[in-house]
Amino acid sequence: MIAINKVSKHYGAFQVLTDCTTHVNKGEVVVVCGPSGSGKSTLIKCVNGLEPFQSGEITVNGVSVGDPKTDLPKLRSHVGMVFQNFELFPHMSIVENLTVAQIKVLGRDKPEADEKGIQLLDRVGLKVQALKYPGQLSGGQQQRVAIARALAMDPICMLFDEPTSALDPEMINEVLDVMTELAQEGMTMMCVTHEMGFAKRVASRVVFMDHGHIVEDDLKDAFFANPRSERAQQFLAKILHH
Amino acid sequence: MGYSWNWGVFLQPSATGDDTYLGWMFYGFKMTIGLSLSAWLMALFLGSIIGVLRTVPNKVLSGLAMAYVELFRNIPLLVQLFLWYFVLPELLPASLGNAYKQSNPVVQQFLAAMICLGLFTSARVAEQVRSGISSLPPGQKNASLAIGFTLAQTYRYVMLPMAFRLVVPPLTSEFLNIFKNSAVCSTIGLLELAAEGRQLVDYTAQPYESFIAVTLAYLLINVVVMFSMRWLEAHVRVPGYIGGK
Amino acid sequence: MYEFDWSSIPGALPFLVQGMYISLEITAIAIVVGIVWGTLLAMMRLSSVTALSWFAAGYVNLFRAVPLVMVLLWFFLMIPHMLESIFGFPRGSDMRLGSAIAGFALFEAAYYSEIIRAGIQSVSKGQMAAANALGMTYGQSMRLVVLPQAFRNMVPLLLTQGIILFQDTSLVYVSALADFFGAAYKVGDRDGRLVEMLLFAGAVYFVLCFTVSQLVRYYQKKLKTA
Repeated sequence: MIAINKVSKHYGAFQVLTDCTTHVNKGEVVVVCGPSGSGKSTLIKCVNGLEPFQSGEITVNGVSVGDPKTDLPKLRSHVGMVFQNFELFPHMSIVENLTVAQIKVLGRDKPEADEKGIQLLDRVGLKVQALKYPGQLSGGQQQRVAIARALAMDPICMLFDEPTSALDPEMINEVLDVMTELAQEGMTMMCVTHEMGFAKRVASRVVFMDHGHIVEDDLKDAFFANPRSERAQQFLAKILHH
Repeated sequence: MGYSWNWGVFLQPSATGDDTYLGWMFYGFKMTIGLSLSAWLMALFLGSIIGVLRTVPNKVLSGLAMAYVELFRNIPLLVQLFLWYFVLPELLPASLGNAYKQSNPVVQQFLAAMICLGLFTSARVAEQVRSGISSLPPGQKNASLAIGFTLAQTYRYVMLPMAFRLVVPPLTSEFLNIFKNSAVCSTIGLLELAAEGRQLVDYTAQPYESFIAVTLAYLLINVVVMFSMRWLEAHVRVPGYIGGK
Repeated sequence: MYEFDWSSIPGALPFLVQGMYISLEITAIAIVVGIVWGTLLAMMRLSSVTALSWFAAGYVNLFRAVPLVMVLLWFFLMIPHMLESIFGFPRGSDMRLGSAIAGFALFEAAYYSEIIRAGIQSVSKGQMAAANALGMTYGQSMRLVVLPQAFRNMVPLLLTQGIILFQDTSLVYVSALADFFGAAYKVGDRDGRLVEMLLFAGAVYFVLCFTVSQLVRYYQKKLKTA
């Protein structure tokens, strides 16, 4: 589904990604982790072309992301993405947030988009909030809306960029529950996250990054039982013992 | 100090006999309002386009927009006005220039003043629109692109609606400025409020009354604009949204 | 097509330079007086003495609501008239330069005070509290702690306002005072070369203001990274 092949990226002299190679098969959940500044957020933004990269190739469902001829808006319309800071559109009501792209990008008519939107809000447990505005919801609720917004486009895969890092601790689980449910339904997912509990529960593989390199790319059990690199061991020790 | 006040002067028939001095003032008032509003529409329209262009990734477009802003910001308004009024007609092709020079002088003055104020203010509006756009959280643009919007759709549905809400207060002060700046147009003989005030000084020998009246008229415009913009601000407020991040 | 003739410029240079001197003189004095008076107004506006803060608010709002042209006309036509009748100055004495400087300084003070007020308010309240906790008086805290930080952040805005002020000095045209623009206009009118002189004046203003504004931007960048 997602194939990342020898991708490198630099800002001027600063190397952000070096020769990154990994993949996400259909139905797989791949968790990307690593210390801050390791390039994991940049990597996931390269997947739908939000960040350009200088060399290597990324294909999503066989379409090359870096190819200038690729219709990026079309590609992005079926790759869902969830952001650290939710990024709901503050001037639109919750239901409008879910329908605007269905109508303007996919060309659905309004009743159809509304129905789909309400159905997905119901699924994330927020149907009653449909007419409120993002600023009136808690962080956890906003992030669940953001997931519903991405799902409304009927994505073939989902990208999560640290979806719980901006949340207060008591709200993390409500978001992880929605993500877990999605994973169990067989959604193809690539998640940048520090939530190792989530990774243990649903990940197929874990990718560990450091200083722009992919240091480990392993099956979940192998990664947690016996990380090969010292840096991954240190990282796990820090993150699991607090 | 030996000055004899006479507020009744406004009701006296004017020197030309066909109107009262109050009528003169009212004519100037209407001219100030008409000029400022038409120039404001022009400034809002052009300024929004230029402001958006300043933020697009295309270097040529954003560079041109920046040159536009710098040009209109770094030449005094009075000089710009004289360039439009005295210089441009000379530089136009002869037929066009002559047609302009033979038209009604009030039309000439009004056109030059409107173009001048409109373009001058458009550069300022552009700066406000640009800063409104760049004060949006950067993730908003990514989020709308990620959902499949094109860049144009991202501006139209996500960035501009928020940016315009954020810039209502600074645009209010530009809107107030355009009324104040319109007084500069008295220098090319356009009979707006300030010019009528000066005329009254020359014709009535009651300078204080006329200047106080003109000053109060500007204060009135100020208050009306401020209240209507405040209403607009409250009207477009987004529920639950407190400032930019 | 119009035929340009730039030959009046070289001969008029001394007159133009003299005009520029007047423009710069008005600008410089108005900036200094404007900032000092503006700072006082800002502190009055923020003070807990109601009368002071009302006075400052009234002053600032009045000057900001009235066009500069009107303020200048008041200062050119009315104030000298008043002074004549109050102090018995000889009628018709030329007070135009003095009036212009006074008008600009008092007008700009209103704008400067708003910039300075915002600057003072941008310094966190904790700084004032910390200064008070060290035993400083209100005046000391303002002078030693708050104002230095406020001014550092405000310098770019104050300079930008200075550029606007410099451009606005061209409005002394309404009193026929020969500042740079007035001089250029007079030469153009005399020689029948208004087109060239106005273009020349515009170009000079643009080069000066653009250069200074770029310097301000450069300084602003340095301030941000410092």
